Amino acid sequence: MVRAIKGEASSSEAWAVKEFLLYVFTWWNKQTVGTMLWTRRFGEFVGQDEAGNRYFRTKGGAIDPQLGFERRWVIYPGYADSTTIPTGWYGWIHHRTDTPPTEESYTPRDWQKPHLRNMTGSPAAYRPKGAVPGGRNRPEVTGDYKAWAPGE
Amino acid sequence: MAKLIVDGTEVDVPAEYTLLQACEVAGVEIPRFCFHERLSIAGNCRMCLVEVKGGPPKPTASCAMAVKDLRPGPNGEPPVVLTKSPMVKKAREGVMEFLLINHPLDCPICDQGGECDLQDQAMAYGVDTSRFAENKRAVEDKYIGPLVRTSMNRCIHCTRCVRFTTEVAGAADLGAIGRGEDMEITTYLEHAMHSELQGNVADLCPVGALTHKPYAFHARPWELTKTESVDVMDAVGSNIRIDTRGREVMRILPRTNEAVNEEWISDKTRYVWDGLKAQRLDRPYVRKDGRLVPATWTEAFSVIAARVKATAPARIGAILGDLATVEEAFALKQLFDKLGSKNIDSRQDGAALNPALGRASYIFNAGIDGIEAADAILLIGTDPRHEASVLNARIRKRWRAGGLKVGVIGPRVDLTYPYEYLGAGPETLAELAGSGTFAEALKAAERPLVIVGQGAVARPDGAAVLSLAARVAVAVGAVKEGWNGFAVLHTAASRVGALDVGVVPGEGGLDVAGMTAAGALDVAFLLGADEVDVAPGAFVIYLGTHGDRGAHRADVILPGAAYPEKSGIYVNTEGRPQFANRAAFPPGDAREDWAVLRALSEVIGHKLPYDTLLALRAALVAAYPHLGRLDQVEPADAGSIAALAGLGGTADKGAFVSTIGDFFLTNPIARASAVMAECSKLRLGSDAVAAE
Repeated sequence: MVRAIKGEASSSEAWAVKEFLLYVFTWWNKQTVGTMLWTRRFGEFVGQDEAGNRYFRTKGGAIDPQLGFERRWVIYPGYADSTTIPTGWYGWIHHRTDTPPTEESYTPRDWQKPHLRNMTGSPAAYRPKGAVPGGRNRPEVTGDYKAWAPGE
Repeated sequence: MAKLIVDGTEVDVPAEYTLLQACEVAGVEIPRFCFHERLSIAGNCRMCLVEVKGGPPKPTASCAMAVKDLRPGPNGEPPVVLTKSPMVKKAREGVMEFLLINHPLDCPICDQGGECDLQDQAMAYGVDTSRFAENKRAVEDKYIGPLVRTSMNRCIHCTRCVRFTTEVAGAADLGAIGRGEDMEITTYLEHAMHSELQGNVADLCPVGALTHKPYAFHARPWELTKTESVDVMDAVGSNIRIDTRGREVMRILPRTNEAVNEEWISDKTRYVWDGLKAQRLDRPYVRKDGRLVPATWTEAFSVIAARVKATAPARIGAILGDLATVEEAFALKQLFDKLGSKNIDSRQDGAALNPALGRASYIFNAGIDGIEAADAILLIGTDPRHEASVLNARIRKRWRAGGLKVGVIGPRVDLTYPYEYLGAGPETLAELAGSGTFAEALKAAERPLVIVGQGAVARPDGAAVLSLAARVAVAVGAVKEGWNGFAVLHTAASRVGALDVGVVPGEGGLDVAGMTAAGALDVAFLLGADEVDVAPGAFVIYLGTHGDRGAHRADVILPGAAYPEKSGIYVNTEGRPQFANRAAFPPGDAREDWAVLRALSEVIGHKLPYDTLLALRAALVAAYPHLGRLDQVEPADAGSIAALAGLGGTADKGAFVSTIGDFFLTNPIARASAVMAECSKLRLGSDAVAAE
């Protein structure tokens, strides 16, 4: 019992160390130190989506001198994958609309599926009908034959 | 002979030649759609127009105009044919434009794409645009059977298919209705065609209107590897081309061989290829506790070796199947000689043919092209339409040429040409040896032909019937200087080769009937022999390709190679050795049959003295030199027929029955084929006609 708790504690410590190192040395997880400081100083939190992505803009919608309009950005909760941004926030972050979905009263229809990130490269990737690693129903190909087995 | 000038070249051709043939002699290619060398002349596609000086003052269809129809110039100059003049060019472009008016732009989805006459000739002789802005004609597709697919929008009304079915196949199934733009090719009642040669209409079709249904959308011609081979579905030895993609046989097409199959093949030959992909034996099996379980080659061999070594040679026997090559027959014979067993036989149906009686007693002495020289034919116990469809087409060709008398003793079937029905059994044959109207007709004939089928000899009194047939042949003068009209028509591709190398029981050995009887053998070796039932009790070793009758009975199954998967020599019913190339590979662990025999011989302690197929073939040719002279028929000594006639014997009274029960299901490959099963269900060609 004691050992189990110890083991748990040590694994969570190791996890925290890994998280910290990733945070410091990689730009593709959560945010960089620079972004963190910049967000604290100039950013204004706008909202959060169901995937945990947090959206920011320049404080009070101030015009960014480099862009000529307000700057908007997102901080991911873990691995930085832009396809996790759902449809509503996608419009906002691309400046297609100025109203963030949190301020809208839109309720999805019951036939609308929840947003799914791009699964390419993962085991859940889309495989067209008949793709080789796709599974059971392999299509007939050149060289196939039906072998006889006793009892047929 | 007549002289004429083709494009400035003077040629001297027989007067009855058509202008198209004369142009070919001069080396000038004339485009054509409706003209075909083996069919009557229709002259309806107009693609072969040429300009003629000394003929009508307009473009002339060169396929329909004879050289003798042209007149010489005023000073006796030979007539002039121009094929490259502006008039001809314009005429061809005009014809092509009219043909393409109603031809759909289907090429990317058309099975004929890449081997289409219209495509090629439109490129070579057509123009790049059409002035036709109206709607194209639409024609409903017709059902004409499970083998030929129709796409009638593409039809250009060349009527080759109509002429083929009427003239060559002898089943007037296809015809044209309507005229002008409304003309349609149809069976009218939309029934399946009643011919065993119907696949050839799709070959003849110059466009994609008729294509092969089993091959539809499977492959493109340019991605196929073409291998020249020989067919084994019957004993004609039709020359075929096997088209493969990777290791899969995609289709089978005929090859031209004037002496054998001209350029036709039967539907069984053509569409059997899907049987090569089903029910395949791809690993050895050994029976353990009454059940066949997969085994390795080593296990299977050790089981066989233990069994063979524990058995006296006289209790071991071998039966050679119908699809084996001569090399395999030779190796099997040598193996059993070394083993000391005389029980070996290749005549699964029990035919009373024996090489001891001389080679002339079991081959088609007259040759298949000899049929065209014959002027009276007697068919004994045979149904050539189903036993050798292409050969039957040759008889029909001879009959169409006129002056042929055909008499039949045996089953009364539709042979596609009229015949005189003489009787059912040996009694009629015995009468014929004396006198009678048909005997007189045979005697009066210059080259009478007596064709003996397997239905006459594959019976207990077969030897007596064969002798009787030989007596008839001698009595009517069918065997004489320069003409040997005694012809045995086989049904098994391996048979003549096996008889040539002596795969028959030795002295005191058992034949097939003896070997399959209960208690006769302890070990039976079946080399692809599926048409026999070995009685319970014997230990059966089956070397074959398909899970057919032999495999079900077997105690050890050794997987072998089917005919496209091995190279070898086949001897057809004429005694013509022909070489079949390997087109694909045997599936899984299966090996070429000769290699299995060689490996097995080592395991059982009687090693065969060759390590390669070439060495085996060399040994075979050294022992039987005539098998090395490929594509040449070694004339057999006609004297043995007189000796055969003298043998005598008493024939009983039973009627002759054809050995072919179901044309589409005669061998394991055909029985595994779904296409053949469907054809058999429809009973194309035989009973369907009788039922109408």
